[in-house]
Amino acid sequence: MTPHFGLPEFGFLLRGLQWTVLLTLVAFAGGCTAGLAVALLRTCGHRSVEWITRIYIGIFQGTPLLLQLFVVYYGLALTGLKLDAFAAVAIGFTVNASAFLGEIWRGAIQAVPRGQTEAAMALGLHYSSRMRDIVLPQAIRISLPATIGYLVQLIKGTSLAAIVGFIELARAGQIVSNQTFQPLLVFGVVGAMYFILCWPLSWWGSRMEARLALANQR
Amino acid sequence: MQDQILIEMKGVQKWYGGYQALRNVDLTVRRGEKIVLCGPSGSGKSTLIRCINRLEAIQQGSIVVNGHRLDDSIKAIDVVRQEVGMVFQSFNLFPHMTVLQNCTLAPIRARRIGRTEAEATARKYLERVRIGDQAEKYPAQLSGGQQQRVAIARALCMQPKVMLFDEPTSALDPEMVKEVLDTMIGLANDGMTMICVTHEMGFARQVADRVIFMAEGQIIEEGAPDAFFREPQHARTKQFLGEILAHH
Repeated sequence: MTPHFGLPEFGFLLRGLQWTVLLTLVAFAGGCTAGLAVALLRTCGHRSVEWITRIYIGIFQGTPLLLQLFVVYYGLALTGLKLDAFAAVAIGFTVNASAFLGEIWRGAIQAVPRGQTEAAMALGLHYSSRMRDIVLPQAIRISLPATIGYLVQLIKGTSLAAIVGFIELARAGQIVSNQTFQPLLVFGVVGAMYFILCWPLSWWGSRMEARLALANQR
Repeated sequence: MQDQILIEMKGVQKWYGGYQALRNVDLTVRRGEKIVLCGPSGSGKSTLIRCINRLEAIQQGSIVVNGHRLDDSIKAIDVVRQEVGMVFQSFNLFPHMTVLQNCTLAPIRARRIGRTEAEATARKYLERVRIGDQAEKYPAQLSGGQQQRVAIARALCMQPKVMLFDEPTSALDPEMVKEVLDTMIGLANDGMTMICVTHEMGFARQVADRVIFMAEGQIIEEGAPDAFFREPQHARTKQFLGEILAHH
């Protein structure tokens, strides 16, 4: 007998949602940390280091995320490092996010007027203080809309994790749909869950953007 | 006499790629001296003062500030920057910090002074530039003239031996020029060593010990303001003075 879409099925989707949120949080936190390092290296002023970082960004922006997940999951297994699906996709998404966030923040750092750095240097402030106290606080404000935009892409992008057998929200939906033969209902619920997650972020992002544009007018 | 010399530049040459911005510049500045640098745009006067605190590197020659020779080492650059204050044409206040935070950041971070002491010093200098009541405001809430006076106070908080001014009134509305010049005159009267890149010839007459004229990266002529304005020696200087004094 074919089960109908009921509470147990809904619970299964919720657990998928939980994994989607968890994967997003881990990838975003890891991506932010590594991305900050990428952005700083990309703007450090040493030509060779900047080039290496540029190539790093180019590789992850220029190849499909799907391929990168395969490389981490199956590639690392070949070297003898057997990772479970969650660890593998968490690493894959983190590295990918570090390249994209690094590039977003590289642009934001360079958008802070040169005079800010010069004034800080003239005051005798070192690189660490110039970045921490002067450049990054301004760069983060500038980059906030784009960063939030990327976070929304990341949430939806985590559905690719299904490809290595990780059961997140989209994959959970597929499983329930196959069991119940109610694809419209099931994927409708799945879509609503993504929407509830993403829409407030998008709204916040565009509000930030409007506020920033207003601040720049003044 | 040796310790009367605060800044000594010898044979300084600077290139931007193939373009030579400074040609064999020699300049000696004594303690307490006020120098006005003038010249047409692109003559190298801003570049010259930006070399003194190493915002620009030089390719040849030597610069000694208060006995410290400026080379490429971080240590030397550090020491020199602590002795040299700078005020920019575009103010360059930190927009995300209050006026008070602008003034205390460098003393706390670079001089490792405690917050209480740094704030007391900052308030003293903000009073001195007559802006003490604005300490809690953000730069964007102030007029251009007020912002530039904050920038002067911010530089003074590091207790520099010399102040560099890079066209400090050029970005200001005309009615705000005077308040900034008055602040600078007050500073000069207190005995601060100053090098000012400016086209304010009234200021030059009033406070400068020496006026230096530059063109094409070279020092063409220098002298006490009276003589400099009354009888400039070089054709290039006469032409320049004729052009700028015609406006005033």
